[in-house]
Amino acid sequence: MSRDQSTYRPETLTASRPLLWIAALLSVVMMAPVAWLVGLSIKNNRELMLGTESVFRLPYTLVNYVNILHSSQAFGWFFNSMIVAIGQTIGVLVLSSLAGYAFARLEFPLRRTIFVIVLFGLAVPEQAVIIARHQMFNWFGLHNSHLGLMLPGMSSAFGVFLMTQFFRAIPKEIDEAALLDNASQWRIFWKIMLPLTLPAQATLGIFTFLHAWNDYWWPLISATKKEMYTLTIGIASSQTNFAQSEGLGFLSAQAVFASLPVLIVYIFFQRHIVTAVSGGAVK
Amino acid sequence: MSASIEIANVTKRYGTLTVLDDISLSISPSEFVVFLGPSGCGKSTLLRMIAGLEDVTEGMISVGGQRVDTLPPGKRGVAMVFQSYALYPHMTVHENMSFGLENIGVAKKEIEKRIRLAAETLEIAHLLDRKPQKLSGGQRQRAAIGRAIVKEPKAFLFDEPLSNLDAALRGRTRLELAQLHARLGSTMIFVTHDQVEAMTLADRIVVMHNRKIEQIGTPMEIYHHPATRFVAGFVGSPAMNFIPVQRITQNENGTAVDAAGIGNLDTAIRLPTAFSSQSATLGIRAEDISVLSPGQSGVPLIAEVVERLGDRTLIYGRLSDGTKLTVEADGRNEASAGDRLEIALDASAIHLFDADGMAHHPEGE
Repeated sequence: MSRDQSTYRPETLTASRPLLWIAALLSVVMMAPVAWLVGLSIKNNRELMLGTESVFRLPYTLVNYVNILHSSQAFGWFFNSMIVAIGQTIGVLVLSSLAGYAFARLEFPLRRTIFVIVLFGLAVPEQAVIIARHQMFNWFGLHNSHLGLMLPGMSSAFGVFLMTQFFRAIPKEIDEAALLDNASQWRIFWKIMLPLTLPAQATLGIFTFLHAWNDYWWPLISATKKEMYTLTIGIASSQTNFAQSEGLGFLSAQAVFASLPVLIVYIFFQRHIVTAVSGGAVK
Repeated sequence: MSASIEIANVTKRYGTLTVLDDISLSISPSEFVVFLGPSGCGKSTLLRMIAGLEDVTEGMISVGGQRVDTLPPGKRGVAMVFQSYALYPHMTVHENMSFGLENIGVAKKEIEKRIRLAAETLEIAHLLDRKPQKLSGGQRQRAAIGRAIVKEPKAFLFDEPLSNLDAALRGRTRLELAQLHARLGSTMIFVTHDQVEAMTLADRIVVMHNRKIEQIGTPMEIYHHPATRFVAGFVGSPAMNFIPVQRITQNENGTAVDAAGIGNLDTAIRLPTAFSSQSATLGIRAEDISVLSPGQSGVPLIAEVVERLGDRTLIYGRLSDGTKLTVEADGRNEASAGDRLEIALDASAIHLFDADGMAHHPEGE
């Protein structure tokens, strides 16, 4: 083959150079506020009072983070957020898996109707039910409790829908082979079907955790006592009239502190998140 | 362990749609029976009913003398190999094989012993720690058979297990399955639409068509004495030639047949007196027609397509009246498309089919 004859190279499929520059620029735009926040969190509050441009100058300090350890309730709020997010994640995974399996595989009266009713839940905005929910939780004395913060997010119509679709995609022969292997319905679910849905569980779990961690509205309504605040509510409540001028570094450190679990989730489950976001794009 | 299987007056309906109609069949212990038929004939449904994956609308199924159609699949004592193999993707081959045994409480030592034996038999001992996605098609198939073997079932059920393999592997696996049957001596039911698989594997073939059993017989019975025109056309490659009959004259030696494009033929077929030549068809296999040497005179055939298969040559042509006919000639035959050939039909190999498709064969055959 002659030298000048160009051959097909897979590299030609990668992004072109201008596209890379645009992507890099967009990344900078996205990352700039985060970098700004981290920068503010490691500056002395007094210095920041004179002007935030001091972010670009030495010295830097961890005093704001030390102050979180000593003087703020952030650890309590962090703990509350963690309990609520983990509780909601477990609840959504368990209920969605069980319901999804039932809708996808079991025969029972009104199965389709009930599934449609569940799907209808996707169309009902939280705002529409918040007053009724508030009253109901009030009757049961669930406000200002971890259970009260967790319960509304422990079931998810989207989760049920996602898991139902995932279970439906598993070939029926797998269940049939297990039936011939004398497995009970529960054992088929637990030992065969559930492990096969791990990618969907990971996706659903990550999004539920992130959503629960960042949730602002329901904790704002349900948690009226400071010790029951979640991080999102706690940090917002710290922003007093002069906080932004007198304690900007401290506020930023709290925000960074609040973002840490989300960051950790992203780092550890990055692969699953990318798969979830690009789901269906590639066969 | 092997057991007899009894299927008595089994019918399967989905609402008003009947997919199997009053099927009865007895399978002896250690017998290798193949359900053969075109797609949609109900053969897989019948197999799944034996396995317990489809319920029986009417009738009864027994395995080893015990009625099983009222039992769940796992209690019927049968093992099934699926077309897609249906191995548990998240489990290793070893775990796939042990899962069923754990469910029925077999002791760990016994499980290990059975898995080792099955793995040696199927030559998959080195694959036991692999998951299905790390196996080739043939290896998956062996793993699926291994999963069935370790259960030591009363009967094996195979649902088109070779259809996902390439041609070479399919041939090899077919042979291995025959050897496995000989070694295990188990009752086996094998579903396929591939007549080569049916002919080579079966002790008896059950040809199914249109919700019913068309014929039950040994491969040779099915091939040489097809009960119906459907069986005659379905079994055999190339398919049997069918030529419309114009007139039939019964005499003391049999029947003289006047068929379109071939003229008169004297056959040893004895027909019932009520037989009508109207809509009757003459059937003859391609290998029972010979191409005459140049200069000899016979039935004229214009060759349209010639397929050279090495050991034999298939000549697809038309008779003088336009009827299509396939002739199997020697591999060295030099006929080519467009040639006018003279052919001769072996009168002793002729079958006659009445208007309902029922077959009549020469006497003494």
